[in-house]
Amino acid sequence: MAASLTGLLKPWTPRVLLVRWSRYNPYYLEPGPRKEVYHIPETELTPEQKEERELKSVRPIKAATNSVTSSVFNDPVLSKFVNMMMKDGDKIIAKGIITQTLENMKRKQVEKYHKAPEGKKAEIECNPYAIFHQALENCKPVIGLTSIQKGGKFYQVPIPLTDNRRRFLAMKWMITECRDNKHRRTLMYEKLSQELLAAFSKEGNVVKRKHELHKMAESNRAYAHYRWW
Amino acid sequence: MAASGGRTVGSFLWKCGNCCFNFNTVSSNLTRQVLSRQLCVSAVLHRKNLAAAGPEKFSEEFIKKQVEEFNIGKRHLANMMGEDPETFTQGDINRSIAYLFPSGLFDKKAKPLMKHPDEVFPKQRAVQWGADGRPFHFLFYTGKQSYYSLMHVSTGSLVGSRWLLKEELEELLVETISEHDYARFIQLMERLLSLPYCSVEEDFVQRYRRQLEIQSSKQQVQPLQYDQHGVAYSTGDGRRKTATGTVLLRDSGSGSISINGTNYVHYFPVLQDREQLMFPLHFMGVLGRFDMQCSVSGGGHSSQAGALRLAISRAMLSFLSEGQVETMRQAGLLTPDPRIKERKKPGQEGARRKFTWKKR
Repeated sequence: MAASLTGLLKPWTPRVLLVRWSRYNPYYLEPGPRKEVYHIPETELTPEQKEERELKSVRPIKAATNSVTSSVFNDPVLSKFVNMMMKDGDKIIAKGIITQTLENMKRKQVEKYHKAPEGKKAEIECNPYAIFHQALENCKPVIGLTSIQKGGKFYQVPIPLTDNRRRFLAMKWMITECRDNKHRRTLMYEKLSQELLAAFSKEGNVVKRKHELHKMAESNRAYAHYRWW
Repeated sequence: MAASGGRTVGSFLWKCGNCCFNFNTVSSNLTRQVLSRQLCVSAVLHRKNLAAAGPEKFSEEFIKKQVEEFNIGKRHLANMMGEDPETFTQGDINRSIAYLFPSGLFDKKAKPLMKHPDEVFPKQRAVQWGADGRPFHFLFYTGKQSYYSLMHVSTGSLVGSRWLLKEELEELLVETISEHDYARFIQLMERLLSLPYCSVEEDFVQRYRRQLEIQSSKQQVQPLQYDQHGVAYSTGDGRRKTATGTVLLRDSGSGSISINGTNYVHYFPVLQDREQLMFPLHFMGVLGRFDMQCSVSGGGHSSQAGALRLAISRAMLSFLSEGQVETMRQAGLLTPDPRIKERKKPGQEGARRKFTWKKR
């Protein structure tokens, strides 16, 4: 009856507690906080967008999380990076480090810009967000390795990686690199800005690690048929 | 018959392993002697549907050029015959060609002909794949993509409707049915929708579906209230985890926010919390328009900010139109966040953390 439908709209706890469950009934859809999507007039929508809008108008929508806003400065990739850097739930410190890193990168780039001759000025990227994104792209591995057991032995088999996994690996390597391989006195934001600028120009330890992974995958190409999925 | 004769010769030629059109590439002497006389065997004799044979053998420019040549030739022919080029029909062309090139052959297809290139060159399909080799149509690898996509014409939009519930079905049938019967009914209806040509039975299917109600109609919007100076105001309240907040929104136009008596910059020193307060205002583009007096208690700084965000969104509803209410809902501003701290379970140290595993 109507009861079973309203039951879908309340905050719920599933009968059998799964490992990954949330207080939202699976009936709820994800929110879309960006402003521009809602200003497209009816006539310019593709059929998929129209269908999506129809679906969203009849389904309940989840609440937007704390870290998400409609502002232009809100970057989902950067938010993910902040969360990965966070320790013990202290987001204020992690966000502060990232802000200092971006400022530091901007300062270095502007210094380089002013020192460069006229011809080279246009090539120097000063936008710290663009540098961050490009550096992360340069660190993402294309192929990964996984351990597969065959005949009692474990082999490192090359496998394709999903987008999320690649992004996660790039961020993880960046953070571990900055935490481990630095001098005792250098601060995190200093080391992170150095690493990001190096990754932007495809140098540095993180990009080296990515290349080593690619080389391992290439050398283990013979075992690729061990993968059955 | 000449046609069958052509076919046998053609099959003989195929057996020799040569295509009659490019005998220049033939290397062995034997086959060259065989092909000293060019036999034009029409490909139409070998296959029924040349259009489906493969990607285009004649390019678009070639066909266009042929059409131009045909049109020019038609006018020349009309001039030769002394007729008016504008009103020269295909029948006239046939008669003129029969007059100018009298042929003693019996086979109609062997006589000289002048027809529009669309009738001469078989209709063919454009190349079905892009530069990277990936086909355009998702049914390409079935071999008959147009046929299968025709067979699987889908019904009208099923997005805004749901199947009848068990109780509603019982009401319709005036009979009691068991859970098993109902499950079987849904299974068969879904199967019906997955079959080809299901759009034919759309009326039948729609009888057993009910429209889902538009969610935004469930929002309760308080009417706007006016105070003694004529300034419009509205209130809203919201909750998040254990924090509760109320807000009084005034349409005065200065954009000042005070929380529990203090300025919002002092109350929320963290940028993220202030951004959460701004989120509903920025989303609707009314940042400097409203004056807010908020009071909040309970929880931590994040949950207080979340509670106030919900309160602000709810208070803003009175100032907005229907479409804007729907966009706010789809942005996730009007749903109360149901996430709470997960309870600790017996036999574990916390909600998820288990006790240290000891082998013995």
